[in-house]
Formats: sequence, C-alpha cells, structure tokens
Amino acid sequence: MVNIEEHMTKARDLGLENDRVPVEYYTSAAYFRREQDMIFRRAWLMVGRVEDVAEPGDFIVRDVPPLKASVIIARGKDGKVRAFHNTCSHRGVALVCQDRGNALTFRCPYHAWIYRIDGSLSAIPAEQDFPHVDKAANGLAPIHLDTWAGFIFLNFADEPEATLPEFLAGLDTMLDGAPFDQFPFSIQVSDEIDCNWKNLVNAFNEGYHVAVLHNKTLRAAVVPKDNPHLHYLDIKQFGPHSAGTVPRNFDYDPQAPALTWVYAQMLPTSAPDVAAINEGRAGFYEHPGINRLKIPNFGTETITIFPNISIQPLANGYLFYQFWPMSEGRMRTDVRIYSRHAPRTLREEFAMASTLAATRDVVVEDMAMSRLQQIGFESGGKKYQQFGQNEPLLRMFTRDYEAYLAGGGMPRQPDKAEAAE
Amino acid sequence: MNGPDAPEKSLIPQQFAFLEPFVETWGHLRTQDERYAKRQALDQEELEAFHAALAHRLEEVFTHLDQFDPQALPEAEALLFRVALGLTEAAQAVEIFGQPRVPHAPFPHGVAIAWNGYQPH
Repeated sequence: MVNIEEHMTKARDLGLENDRVPVEYYTSAAYFRREQDMIFRRAWLMVGRVEDVAEPGDFIVRDVPPLKASVIIARGKDGKVRAFHNTCSHRGVALVCQDRGNALTFRCPYHAWIYRIDGSLSAIPAEQDFPHVDKAANGLAPIHLDTWAGFIFLNFADEPEATLPEFLAGLDTMLDGAPFDQFPFSIQVSDEIDCNWKNLVNAFNEGYHVAVLHNKTLRAAVVPKDNPHLHYLDIKQFGPHSAGTVPRNFDYDPQAPALTWVYAQMLPTSAPDVAAINEGRAGFYEHPGINRLKIPNFGTETITIFPNISIQPLANGYLFYQFWPMSEGRMRTDVRIYSRHAPRTLREEFAMASTLAATRDVVVEDMAMSRLQQIGFESGGKKYQQFGQNEPLLRMFTRDYEAYLAGGGMPRQPDKAEAAE
Repeated sequence: MNGPDAPEKSLIPQQFAFLEPFVETWGHLRTQDERYAKRQALDQEELEAFHAALAHRLEEVFTHLDQFDPQALPEAEALLFRVALGLTEAAQAVEIFGQPRVPHAPFPHGVAIAWNGYQPH
C-alpha cells in the first residue's frame, strides 16, 4: 500500500526556495518583450501532431502568437515534414490562406509566384523581369523542425542552442513509446483571455485549487479523501520540464441522468475504463514512465513542457493545453481533447459533444480565475504573489523562466562552446 | 412558404412531440458554440424544463436515431438530433452548475471550436 503523504512532493524536497515572485513578471511590457526574445525565440515550441499532415502534400498553417509568426507545416513528396514562414519571397504576402489542405504547390494570390510543397521556388511569372532573383536561393524561409512522439516542434533561432532531444532533457526518454498515436482524433477549443499567459501555466501546475475553483465540475471525480488539496505526487524534473502523478476517485459514479447516459455510450476522455485497465489495454496506464508509484486510483500524469504546454494522458485519450502570450495582458489558450476515433454514431457524437462542453467549462473556470487574477495584479496593491510548499512546480517554472530571461536555461553544449574558444 | 399567420409546422418525428416546446429554442442551432451561447442566455427555469423533458428519455431518442445513417439523416431526424444536442449544454447548467453560466466567466462568452476531420451536426 502506497503511503500517499510520503509522495506529496514539497518545494523543499526539490530545493526550491523562491517562495514569492514579483507581480511585475505578469504585468510588464518590458518582461513580455524579454519573453519573446529570450524564451519564444530560443525554446523548442510545440505546434502540432504529425497526424495533422499525415499524407504527402498535406499542409497546415499555424500561428505562433508571441512571435507573430504564421507558419506553414507541410509533408513533402519525400515524406519529410518541413516548416516555413508563410511569406512570399517576392513582396512578402502570407500566401497560404487555408488552415489546412493537400497540395503539390503553393501559389501566391498576389502575383502568382509558385512554390513546391518542399518550399522551393518553382516559377516566377515574367521571370525575365527578375534577373537578380536566384530561384534556388529564394524558396520559402525555413524554420527548424523536429518531432518527438509524433509532436511537431519548431525552433525560431537562427541556430538552435540545443537539439530537441537535448531540450527535452530526459522527459522524452521517460515517455518513450507512450501511445499518443493511438488517439489521433481531436477536438480543439480556443479562447483569448485578458490575462498573462503564465497565470494559466501556473493554474495547470498545481492541484491546490481544484477542490475550490472546480468544486462543482471536478472535485467529486478527482479529489480523493486522502489527498484533499490534490497535491501532485512523485514530481519528476527534466530540465525545465516536469511530470507529476495525479489521483482520481474510481468510485465516482455520477447519478445525474444526462451524464449517466453519456457515460454509458462512450466514456469521457478523463474517465477510467476499469475493464480496459484490468485487461491491460488502457493506453497510457500501461506505460512504465507513467504512474511510477502504481497508485491504484491513478488519474493522470500531468506533463509540463516548458514554456507553455501541459499534457494529461488519461485512460481514454489525452488532454493537451497550450498557453500563448499575445501581450503581457492578453493570451490565447488552445485545448485539444484527443480520442481514439471520430464519432461513428450519433450516440458517440452526443457523448463527445457532452465531454467537449464539460471539458470546456472546466477550462473556462481556470480562464475566468486567471482574468480575475490579472485584474488584481494590475490594481497594483501587491508587489508579489506567493507560492506555497505545495506549489513546487510554480517555483520550478519561475526558476527556469528567470534562467531563460538571463540567457541560460537551455542545456549546455560543451562541443560548441569548446569549438568557439 | 408559410404565411405570417400560419405557424411553421415542426418536422420533429411525431413520437417525440414532447420536445415540441423546445424546437424553437434548440432545433435551429448548428454549432456547439451557438448552443453554449443559448444556454448562457436562457433562464435556469427554462433549462430545467428542457432537461426534465429529455434527460430521462435520451435512450428513446437514440433508439429511434439508430435506424438512420448518421451522415444522411432525414430532415425530421436531423432536427430531433439538433434538439437533443442542446442538452449537452443544458445539462451542464442543470446537473453541474445549478445556474446557466460558468461562475466568474465573462458574459456573453464564446470559444472557437474545431472538430478535426469530422463535421458535427
């Protein structure tokens, strides 16, 4: 029998003594500008899944709000996934205007310059008037891209300071082989909120608020009697990234008629499929890097990837959250609910729509509170916010945030440093 | 075309006439965000009346809908399904919050929703 209290990781267990953080980090335009340069132009940023561009010719366009970047991600005829800035070499137009599609070429709608799916410039109308343009050197501007576990990451530095595996710092090895690819279907919810992006990062990095803020939505399902403040268990650090184990109540048995009916059609992403668990086919539950403690009422392993990702693998899929700054006081939250397949029946569509509404409402609670927090910060009565011993991941994020702003944070690369000497 | 004096005749299948009072409110909404907005705008009493009429009879509704191709629903069944989908929002107000809106959220509040690779009803 696991003694839960022993595994409630406290800040002091991780040597994290930064028990308060300046409010200025959350309200100042100067800090936002430093975040753009020192975090979002340096760290590897997750922007999608390889399933989003499954076939040669498939492309998606994603924006990266803190950098105002519009990015084309495309799978070439050679099967390779590449990323480019969405800007024509001629006069700069963001030439791909669809969110997604399949194409062999991209044609600029302004003057019809044509690019191949691999980004190379294929044709210039009235080419004789552009004798100074070397087509071979005027393809779409590439962005560094790598993938891990099917997730697509970009790096906007001219030369990344670390490779993606170096950046992931062991989180990738712990989760090696985790079955994200078993859950290819997603529903996305996005919203823009008047608050600093780190308010939401912090909300997903502690369970202390769950019994209070989520009293009506989550408490009964996830807050166990032996862990009333939903302390994260067994926190593991990987550079600036982390993972922590979160329990839930397996005896949660909603009696409300609509919810009960939904559960009988198709279990929500978050609900444990007890039969599947018992038969060893419950997706992430079987992975050795997840629930190392083997707690019997395992809910999720909450995985944080610096700077702005939270992933929660569950029995029937996973939840993905990403928090993008737009300015110091405004941000965008993207939530994706991943499941095994698209609805096959109207019953499943109804169940998924219900899960979508329920998941959205929980995030709306977090976003609403983050907005109130921003109002409080900007009111100016407090110079600091405080992080408890039971909020170690907030202290850890702040530690690594400060390291990045100071020019560090990334794994060292002794080879390059030595070569420069 | 119905004249101004002729009330539009609902197409909902006859055995689901008990949902008739809710067709006007829920039957013409086409997206989850429209249903979310409707739920926020209604009184709790209206949401409770809808929930009371439908929540215990979902199985009947879907036993009927099971007979049809989900991608080619006849108009009456499509209307019935859209009314039923209203309960995905109304149930949040009735079974979870005890009020139409998420506490502390802005009003009206909307989010952008995308089902990747599936066209929901």
